[in-house]
Amino acid sequence: MELAKIEKLLDAYFEGNTTLAEEAMLRDYFAQDEIAPQVAMYQPLFVGLVAAKEEVSDRELKLPKNQFKIKNWWYAAAASVVLAIGVAGFVFSEPKLTQEEQEALAAFEKTKEAMQFMSKNFNKGAEELTYISTFTETKNKILK
Amino acid sequence: MKQKEFIATVLPFKDKLYRLAKRILVSGDEAEDAIQEVYLKLWKGRNKIGNYRNPEAFAVTMTKNYCLDRLKSKQASNLKIVHNNFQTSENVEKKIEANDGVQLVFKIMETLPEQQRIVLQLRDVEQFEFSEIAKMLDSNETAVRVNLSRARKTVREQLIKKHNYGIS
Repeated sequence: MELAKIEKLLDAYFEGNTTLAEEAMLRDYFAQDEIAPQVAMYQPLFVGLVAAKEEVSDRELKLPKNQFKIKNWWYAAAASVVLAIGVAGFVFSEPKLTQEEQEALAAFEKTKEAMQFMSKNFNKGAEELTYISTFTETKNKILK
Repeated sequence: MKQKEFIATVLPFKDKLYRLAKRILVSGDEAEDAIQEVYLKLWKGRNKIGNYRNPEAFAVTMTKNYCLDRLKSKQASNLKIVHNNFQTSENVEKKIEANDGVQLVFKIMETLPEQQRIVLQLRDVEQFEFSEIAKMLDSNETAVRVNLSRARKTVREQLIKKHNYGIS
């Protein structure tokens, strides 16, 4: 680009009258190596403006995890429902015994009955024995 | 607005906001803190973002206001701005190293009044249209041009001064 045009653009630039396209032309001109010595002092400005745009933020943004909180709440609700079902299932399923357990229970009842019957008969025998103690008492009275 | 959608909307201009924040606050660390705050605010108002025609311009305005507030509260509490991390980004550092003049330009930009710094950043670095900048700054195009012209002329004066004395 010829010097005259660059100088004209520069004048407009410092007055704040250039368009974005014209400013891009200036940046391009000063980005190359063949710069007229008359305007060389402006080179750092345009190189600097380009360099300034390359700077980037290198810190991660931290946003509050709102949605995860809601999810956690749902997890908690789901977990307690599962727990409730588990407990309820255990409580209500207890009377329902398996075939084998029912048989065992019946056998247990029968055995208990038999045992009680036996112990009753034993006690009958024991009742008769009280007469023996009466006999001992009377004997003691007489013999002293 | 879901988080994914939100990020897709606002993340593309994160670096732009960062550069603007850094132009105003000078320190890279403070600029990072500032945009974190700005994004939190955007996130809180995410359901309204969809209503704005231009979320980017809205975010730029927010960043500018937030940074100017920070600057004010800092000046009020008499704290000095630290800029030990003048160059954070390595690629920029390389470019600057190659040219002392560029370093000088950054230094000159730091000395400009805030409003001029902001206008220069938005126009000459981020290349927004005058109409967009006017909206972002709640100003008009003429005022933006005047501020910009002043900023550019100050940089020119300083450059010519250094050029005449000879910097190298």
